[in-house]
Amino acid sequence: MSMAADPTRPEYRAAGTDLSERRRSGVSRGALLDVAAPAGVEPTPDGGLRLGALTTIAALAADPAIRAGYPGLAAAAAGLATPQIRRMATLGGNIAQRNRCWYFRNPDIACLKKGADACPARAGNALYAVAFDSAPCVAPHPSTLAAALLAYDARLDTNQRRDAPIAEALGDGRAASAETALRPGELITAVALPAPASNERAFYKRAIGRAHAEWPLVELVLRASVEGGVFAGLRLVAGGVAPVPLRLQAAEAAALGKPATATTFAAAAAAAIEGANPLPQSRYKLDLLQGLVLDLLEQAASQG
Amino acid sequence: MATASVNGRTVDLPEDDEPLLLDVLRDRLGLTGAKLVCGAGVCGACTVLIDGAAVVSCLMPAKAAAGKTVTTVEGIGAPELHPVQRAFMAQDALQCGFCTPGFIVEAKAFYDEWRTKHGAVAPSREDIGAAFCGHLCRCGAYDNIYRAIVDACAGAYDRAGREAPRLGARDKVTGAAVYTHDIRHEGQLEGVILRSAHAHARVAALDLSVAQRMPGVKAAVSLLDASRTVTFVGDPIAAVAAADRETAERALGAILVQFEALAAAIGPEAALAPGAAVVFPRGKGLKYNAGEGGNSPASWNGNLRGPVSAFSLRRKTARKAIDAARAANDPLLVEGVFRTSAQQHNSLEPHVAVAHFDGEDLTVEVSTQAVSALGAEIAKHFKLDPARVRVLAQHVGGGFGSKGAMRFETIAAIELAKVARAPVRVAFSRHEELSVAGYRPAVELRIALLPARDGSLSALSLTAHSDAGVAANNTVAGLARLIYTAQAKELLDYDVISNLPPGSPFRGPGGPPMAFALEQAIDEAALRLGQDPIALRKRWDANPARARLYDWAMGLDVWKARTAPSGEGRYRRGVGVAAGYWLYLWQADTKAELSVIGGRLVASLAVQDIGTGTRTVIADTLAREFGLDPSEIEVRLGDSKLPLGPGSGGSRVTASIVPTLLEASAKLKARVQGAPAAGGNAPWRARLAASPDLSVIAGRPADAKRNIYGNASLLHEAGIVGRLFGWMLRFQQKLAVGAGAPSSVQVIEVEVDTWLARVRVLRAWSGIAVGKLAAPALARNQAAGAFYQSLGHALYEGREIDSRTGRVLSVNLDDYRTPGIGDAPPIEVHFEESGFDHVPGGSVGIGEVASVPTPAALANAVRNAIGVRPQEIPIRPDRLLALLKGAAHVDGR
Ligand SMILES: Cc1cc2nc3c(=O)[nH]c(=O)nc-3n(C[C@H](O)[C@H](O)[C@H](O)COP(=O)(O)OP(=O)(O)OC[C@H]3O[C@@H](n4cnc5c(N)ncnc54)[C@H](O)[C@@H]3O)c2cc1C
Ligand code: FES
Ligand code: FES
Repeated sequence: MSMAADPTRPEYRAAGTDLSERRRSGVSRGALLDVAAPAGVEPTPDGGLRLGALTTIAALAADPAIRAGYPGLAAAAAGLATPQIRRMATLGGNIAQRNRCWYFRNPDIACLKKGADACPARAGNALYAVAFDSAPCVAPHPSTLAAALLAYDARLDTNQRRDAPIAEALGDGRAASAETALRPGELITAVALPAPASNERAFYKRAIGRAHAEWPLVELVLRASVEGGVFAGLRLVAGGVAPVPLRLQAAEAAALGKPATATTFAAAAAAAIEGANPLPQSRYKLDLLQGLVLDLLEQAASQG
Repeated sequence: MATASVNGRTVDLPEDDEPLLLDVLRDRLGLTGAKLVCGAGVCGACTVLIDGAAVVSCLMPAKAAAGKTVTTVEGIGAPELHPVQRAFMAQDALQCGFCTPGFIVEAKAFYDEWRTKHGAVAPSREDIGAAFCGHLCRCGAYDNIYRAIVDACAGAYDRAGREAPRLGARDKVTGAAVYTHDIRHEGQLEGVILRSAHAHARVAALDLSVAQRMPGVKAAVSLLDASRTVTFVGDPIAAVAAADRETAERALGAILVQFEALAAAIGPEAALAPGAAVVFPRGKGLKYNAGEGGNSPASWNGNLRGPVSAFSLRRKTARKAIDAARAANDPLLVEGVFRTSAQQHNSLEPHVAVAHFDGEDLTVEVSTQAVSALGAEIAKHFKLDPARVRVLAQHVGGGFGSKGAMRFETIAAIELAKVARAPVRVAFSRHEELSVAGYRPAVELRIALLPARDGSLSALSLTAHSDAGVAANNTVAGLARLIYTAQAKELLDYDVISNLPPGSPFRGPGGPPMAFALEQAIDEAALRLGQDPIALRKRWDANPARARLYDWAMGLDVWKARTAPSGEGRYRRGVGVAAGYWLYLWQADTKAELSVIGGRLVASLAVQDIGTGTRTVIADTLAREFGLDPSEIEVRLGDSKLPLGPGSGGSRVTASIVPTLLEASAKLKARVQGAPAAGGNAPWRARLAASPDLSVIAGRPADAKRNIYGNASLLHEAGIVGRLFGWMLRFQQKLAVGAGAPSSVQVIEVEVDTWLARVRVLRAWSGIAVGKLAAPALARNQAAGAFYQSLGHALYEGREIDSRTGRVLSVNLDDYRTPGIGDAPPIEVHFEESGFDHVPGGSVGIGEVASVPTPAALANAVRNAIGVRPQEIPIRPDRLLALLKGAAHVDGR
C-alpha cells in the first residue's frame, strides 16, 4: 500500500533516516528530491540563533551556544534516537518526519495517513496512541525537537514563508497526509530561536521502558525560572501524547507565581492532564505525564 | 561519476537515488561484514564509519557517501588488529557474532575518541550504555562487551597478547565470517514469498503465469498444499525468484490469487468464545508442532485441545485437597492467574537458505540449528535420495529454537532452485522474522498451591492454556512434575488454537512460563508461612544439586540484607529469587570422526555452532585429552555429510558430543600408540605429528549406571508415564533423557521508579549446576546471555497483534523491544560443578536452564519492592502503573 498523498510530487530527502526505512518497506514510493538547505548554527542580530535545516541532531546537541542558551533543546537533541542516528539525522527532517504508528509503518495495512478513510489503530491496538485525542488519526507526533522548539518559541523559514511560528507550521495534527501543516512542496530551510532568557533552567526527559534508544511513551521539555523560591516563568511542552507537541498551559498556570514546593509540583501535575481524553489503552500515558511533570519540576526547583 | 573511498579503495557510487549504502557495500562490493538486520536504524548491525563517524548504513543513501571515506569492519584491523578487536576476542565479547561487526566499528570510533579525550582510563558502564545504545545483541554477550570496551579503553589491549578462548572469534571481529545470509554465488537469484493477507481462507485460484513472464523472473512456484487453505496472515502461498529482490517483489504483485474467505478465530479469547469458527475440526488439518517431541494424543473441543494430564500425580487427590482448602478459606492456599507473552526469537541472522542443484545433487546452505536432521527432513519432503542432499551451515547468526526444523525459507529456496536451475537465496525480512518465523507461545497459567500444616507441600494444581496460533503440543504445566515434592499434583496442559502464526520451540520450551507461575506461588507461600523463600524451596526440593545452589543463594549479602516492602518513596528496591531446571538430554545416535591428517588432529561431526561455542567445546575437550592447545585442533562441522551429530536444541549438544569425543579419543590413542611410528612416552603432540594419517569413528557411550539421583533418568521421577515418555523420545528421536537435571537458582535486585513506572535491574546472580564446564571460558558468557534474553521477556518483549485482522503489529525492532546493553545489569555467575559425574566428561548444556527462572525471579523482586505481585509479563510501564494503582494497600510482608 503506497502513500496516496500525491504520487507526482517528489518527497524531500535529507539524511533519509526516516524516509529510507519507509522506502525499504514500500510504505513510501514515488520520486525523491534531495534537500538543498544550509547546515550549521549562526548567531542572529537579535541575539538569537539561526539553525540550518540540514544541521545534524548531533551538532545541535554539541553546539556550545545551544547548550548555554537553550539547554532544553540541547538535552532533547542529545536524548533522542541513537548516537548513529543523531550523527546523520537533520533538524528539518526531524520536524517533518512521519509518525511511528505500527499501522502506518506496516506496508500491508491501509490507514488514514495512507489515504484510507479510517484510522485502524483507533479501533484496534492503540497501546502507543495519543492520550489527548484531538485528530482523526491517533498517532502521537513523533518529533522530539518539535516539542523542544515549541518550548522555545522557535520560528521557521521555508521556501514558501518566512519567520512562521513553529506552532503554525506544526498545525493542529489533523492533516490527512502529513504530521505538520507544511504545504505541498514546502521545504524548511532554517529555524530561528529568539534571544535566550536569562536566569532560566531547562530540562528534557522521556518515559520509556528500557534505559535508552526507545521511542518515548511520553516526553517532556521544561523551562523554568525560579526567583525567591517562586516559579517566575514556566514553559512545559509534552510529546508522545497528542497529534502535535502539546503545551501544558494549565500546568504552567497552576505553578506560576507559586512556591517551588512539593504542593505546587503536585498541583501542576494534576493540571497537566486537564483536557485529556485518552483511549482505553493509552490512559497510562497520563500517569507517565504526571510523573514527568513532578520529576522535572523537582529538578528545576532543586538545582540552582 | 561520484566516488567514495571505501576501506582505502576508490569506488564508483551508483548514480541512482534509491540504493542505500549497505546494499551497495554488501551486494555490489561484496563487503558482507556489515549486516542487514532491522533495516530501520535500531540494531546497529550495519554500522560503518563515514569520515570516522559511526552511522547506520542501512538508512544512508549511497549517494550521500560521495567524496567521503567509508570504513567497514573489513577495513579495521588490517594488517594489524585494532585493540578493540583484540579485546572482543580475548574477553569473548560475542556468541553467534552477527552483531559483532557493528559493535566493532562503533567501538573503534569510541575508543579512538575516548583515548584522545581521556587517555588510557576506563569508561563507566553508563558511558558505554549510552554510546552503544544503537546496537543490539540478541545472544546477550553484553557483559563481556562491557569488559572488552572498558579494558580496551584502559589500555589493556594496546599490544597483541592474549588469545581468544572462542574458536573462530577472529573471523567474527574482522567481518571475515561468512554466514548464510552473506552468501553470493555466481548467478544466484533472490527468492521472495507471497503470503496470505487473510487469517483464514481457501485459495480458489492461483495464477502465476503473469509473474512468470515478467522480465528478470526465473521461477514462480506455488507453496500451497493439497488443502489450499491458509490459516494465518502470512501463511505462504507462492514464491518467486528473480535476479534481484526488487524484481522478485514486483513479480509478487503480479500473482493473481482469489481467496474464499473463511470465518476466522483470532487469539485465544475469540477462539474459545461461543460460536467461534473452529480452525481444525477435531484436529483435522493441524500441521504445526510448537513442542519438541512428537504430537501427543489429546482430545479436541472446538479450538481447545487437551487436557494432556499425563504428568499429574494423584490428580483427583490434588483437586479434592485444593477444593476443600478453598471451601474452608484456608489462608495457606495460594491461588493466582499468571500470563506470559509471546516472545519472538529474533535471531539477528534471519531464516535464510541458499539452494542449488548440480544434476541430481542438492546442496542447501542454510541458517539452521540442525544440519543432520534437516538433511534427512529435506530428503524426505522432496523425495530425494538422502545421499544426494547436503546441508551446510558454517556460521549461524543465532537460533534460540527457531531454526530447528525445515521451514519455508528452505522449502521455497529448493522449489525455486529446482525450476530456475540456478542457486536461489530466500532470506526472511525482519518483518517476516517477527511475524511468521516462530515464537515462544503465550501462556495463561492458573495455579493453586497448598502447603500442609506440617510445612510440607500438600497439593499443587497448575493448568496452562498455551496460545501458539495454529500450532499445538505445548507442554508447560507438565514440567511442574519434575521439581518440588508434593503429595499430589494436578497438571493440565491445553492448546488454544486460533488463526495466528504458529509458535515454535524457544529456549527451554514451557520452562520460563511454568516457573513464572510456580515460583511466584512458592514465594507467596513463603510469605504466608513466614519463612525464608529460599529455605522453603530447599525444604520442598529433593534435588541435591539445587540444594547446593540454595545454600549459595542464601549466603549472598544481597539476600541477607533483604527487607519487607516499605510502600514509601519514589524509588523502591526489592530482591527476588527463583529456581528452575531443564532436562538433561543427549542424542543417542551421535557419532564423531577423529583423524590424524598430516600430523594434525581433526575432529569431524555434523553439528553446527549457532553461537553456543560448539567449535570451542570440541577443541577444548580434545585439547585436554591430548595436551594440545585448542588452536592446534581442526574442527570440521556444519556439514550434513559428516558423521551424524545432534541438533542445537534441548541443550543436548555438549552432553552428546563430549562423551563421543572422549570415546573417539580413546580409540584414536590406541591406534596411534599401536601404529608403527608410535613415540613411546612422547607427548601426544609429538606422537600425533609422527603418526601416519588414520581415523576412527566413535558413538555416544552410555552414562555410568550409578549416579547420585538413584534413577537412570529424570523422567523416572514421573512414574510410569515418565518412563513411557522417555521410551518414546528414545524410539522416535533417538533422544535419551539422562539422570539429574541441569539447574539454576537466580537472585535479582531491582529498583522500581514509581513515578515513571520503570523497573531497573541493579544486579543479578545466576547459580548454575550443569556439571563440569566443557568450555569454561565460554560458559559464563552463555549463562549471562540466556539471563539477559529472558530478562527481555520479563520486562520488554511481547508480540502485539491486531485482533480484528490477525496481523502482527510488532514487526520491527522499534516495536519489538529487546534489551540493549544499557539494560544488562552486572551479573555474577556461580557454577556448581558436581552432579553429572555419571556422564562421561561430566558436562551437560547450559543454554536453556540459565533462562528458566529469570522472569519469576524478576517478578518476585518487583513484589518485594512494591508489595504487589506482577501477574503478567512483560512488566511494561502500563502494567506496572496498574499494579501500583491496584494496590489499595501495599502488602508489607
Ligand atoms: C532508531 C530510531 C530512533 C528514533 N528516535 C527518535 C526520537 O526519539 N525522537 C525523534 O524526534 N526522532 C527519533 N527518530 C527519528 C529521527 O530523528 C528522524 O528520522 C530524523 O530526524 C529525520 O531526519 P532526516 O534528515 O533523516 O530526514 P529524512 O528521513 O530525510 O526525511 C524525513 C521526512 O522529512 C521530510 N523532510 C526532510 N527534510 C525536510 C525539510 N528541510 N523540509 C521539509 N521536509 C523535510 C522528508 O520529506 C521526509 O518525509 C528516530 C529514528 C530512528 C531510526
Ligand atoms: S540493519 Fe541498520 S540498524 Fe539494523
Ligand atoms: S553475538 Fe550478538 S547477536 Fe549473537
